[in-house]
Amino acid sequence: MITVEGLIKHHGPLQVIKGISFTVEKGNVDAIIGPSGGGKSTFLRCLNGLEPFQGGRVTIGEHSLSPQTHPQRDAALLQRVRQRVGFVFQQFNLFPHLTVLQNLTLAPVTVRGEPEEVARARAEKLLDRVGLLAKKDAYPRDLSGGQQQRVSIARTLVMEPEVILFDEPTSALDPVMAGEVLKVMEDLARGGQTMIVVTHSMSFAREVADRVHVFADGYDVESGPPAEVFGDPQHATTQAFLRLAGRD
Amino acid sequence: MDHTAAPRALPRAGSGARSLMNALVVILTALVATPAAADQLEAVQQRGTLRWCADQEGGGPFVYPKDDDPSEVTGFEVDLAAQLAAYLKVKPEFVQGQWDKLPDMLRTDKCDIVLNGYEYDDERLDVMEATIPYYVYGLQLMLRKGDPIWKGWDQLKAPPDGQKAKVGVLTGSAAEVTMREVCGEGDVRCTVIAYDGSTDAMREVETGKLDATLQDTPIARFYAPRFPGLAASGEPVAPGYYVIFVKDGELGLRDQLNTALILLNRNGEQQNIYSKYGIWDDQQAELRAVAEMGKFYGQHQATRVEVEVNALPTQEVVTTEVRKRGWEVVTSYGGILLESAGLTVVLAAISFPMAVLIGLLVALGRLYGPAWLRLPLTAYVEFLRGTPLMLQLYFIFFMLPEVGVSIPAFWTGILGLAINYSAYESEIYRAGLQAVPGGQMEAALSLGMTRGQALRKIIVPQAVRIVIPPVVNDFIALFKDTSVVSVVTLVELTKRFSVLSMSTQATVELMLMTAMLYLLMSYPMSLISRRIEARLGGVSA
Repeated sequence: MITVEGLIKHHGPLQVIKGISFTVEKGNVDAIIGPSGGGKSTFLRCLNGLEPFQGGRVTIGEHSLSPQTHPQRDAALLQRVRQRVGFVFQQFNLFPHLTVLQNLTLAPVTVRGEPEEVARARAEKLLDRVGLLAKKDAYPRDLSGGQQQRVSIARTLVMEPEVILFDEPTSALDPVMAGEVLKVMEDLARGGQTMIVVTHSMSFAREVADRVHVFADGYDVESGPPAEVFGDPQHATTQAFLRLAGRD
Repeated sequence: MDHTAAPRALPRAGSGARSLMNALVVILTALVATPAAADQLEAVQQRGTLRWCADQEGGGPFVYPKDDDPSEVTGFEVDLAAQLAAYLKVKPEFVQGQWDKLPDMLRTDKCDIVLNGYEYDDERLDVMEATIPYYVYGLQLMLRKGDPIWKGWDQLKAPPDGQKAKVGVLTGSAAEVTMREVCGEGDVRCTVIAYDGSTDAMREVETGKLDATLQDTPIARFYAPRFPGLAASGEPVAPGYYVIFVKDGELGLRDQLNTALILLNRNGEQQNIYSKYGIWDDQQAELRAVAEMGKFYGQHQATRVEVEVNALPTQEVVTTEVRKRGWEVVTSYGGILLESAGLTVVLAAISFPMAVLIGLLVALGRLYGPAWLRLPLTAYVEFLRGTPLMLQLYFIFFMLPEVGVSIPAFWTGILGLAINYSAYESEIYRAGLQAVPGGQMEAALSLGMTRGQALRKIIVPQAVRIVIPPVVNDFIALFKDTSVVSVVTLVELTKRFSVLSMSTQATVELMLMTAMLYLLMSYPMSLISRRIEARLGGVSA
């Protein structure tokens, strides 16, 4: 589904991703865990072209992104990629001037030219799925953080992406709200949605993910089924990280 | 005559603007080739109108609003222009302009002649052609009737011990120059106080704040009935000549005007007109001499004209009414002030949306446009922000015609306000666009939108909400800045106030009405903006 080969990314003189290769199979959920500053979010942002990168290749179906991909000149390519790869942000990034329903229907109508009614029908179905149909005419500022993140997931789903990238979707939320959001994500995973999830929720990684990757210092230091990674960590970094993360 | 168009304090138009402007005029005039001199006389006859420039703010008896219909002008120059036009077999057309800009209007062909108390003066002769004089003026000393100390020039020049007269004059006038000489360096013999309006000083003498004033004879004679507490003292001093100016090299038109002036003098029409305004005096005998000799400083070789000899027709007299006061001012001039307020509203209502639109596009170009576009747009903003609005208006109105671009006064006002304010609006929008969190653009792009779609649907709508308060603030500022457009001959509310206050002396009443009108127009806008803000709501997520 998504194949990453030898991805390298610099922030100025600092190399934040030092050659990561990575493949996600259709229908799989891959979780990325690891200490802060390990390049997890940056890696995710490279996958849908929000960040340009300096080495390697990202292949999504028949499209591929490379260091030569230009944010403006290759806008059409990026647009096609992004229609197949959804993104859920840590800070939700809902459009504050639009209602919940408008947040969902804007992209289908503008990007795909869907008729308003068709988009609205699908949007309402998705809002129902995340338990927020009653809030469809509310503005984002009237929702709790957990509700906003569920709307943001629904907004991504309405474009029917083949893969959804989650960038620490529960880090800005208290445990109760995080629970609501994780339940929605679990539900999606069971429905066969391909997902890559950068998360600090060890329970989600252990119980929902098909594979777990530990990113540290710009490398994918260890990866495998959750039982292996959590049960018998091979790498010193993983051992140290899991010891600290386990204290929560 | 008076220089009542003295620079008022204008927002965003510093005091250096004038000299800067003059420098610019010189440079640009040097750069642009003078257009081939068309024969103005022929142009006047073909058009069928004689366009004459003057500033009604100068007040009586020159050109001033009619008492019963303040939207029309009257005055001895109005009557004189009518007679001159009749001689040329065309219709007179009054063209309003700011007094000190009348030569520029002549140069850029906005009128055919300048007829507005312009003194005969060598410097002006360098750039324009002068006719023979149509009025001989002098400076008249005026004192309070029955004052125990100040009885004439003698007391001013040699004041009694410990006394010093306070003398009011018009700023920048010949009277000021004369009076400063009389009072001496450092005001040793008397104190000179300069006023912006000619009749202000007369009022102050009457109320006792001043002891004397020195005025041009037409003003002194015309307004004497309105200030019964004043008395003229002695004969007028320092005589000079009012002449008509035409464009440089337009000798055909000048000669026709000279012939007309001689005719009007000989057939008594001139005396008739001047008597009507109470300004015919002994000094005008010199006009007769000029006419009879048919020359003036060797400039005019008059041909012998056959005329009927002075049979003075009916004597019409303009009465200088007693000053209107209080409610009477409101009922007499409320209508015309309201009408001028209408122009103010129209100017603001058309120019501001243009400014906002241009400003938004400039801000978008600077933030999201291609790299090559950013530098010119930055230059655009800095240039327009860094130069006064008055200068920009002046450039559009008086400089562009030199290169063949002639924009009517109304659209000059609109365009000047729109582009000047677009620079301010673009900075506001730039701040507003930057205040939209970066995550908004990323979210829009992640959903597959193009940058254009994201800007249109996500970024700009949020920026617009963020900047409502500063934009409304600027709208109110522009609203009041519309008063600057009077430099391009538009008579909006502030100019109308100046014109009326000069001719009626009801300054306090008119000022209150004008201020009230501005407030009545701008306060609702504040309310509406608050409504809009409340309706669109905050944008923080």
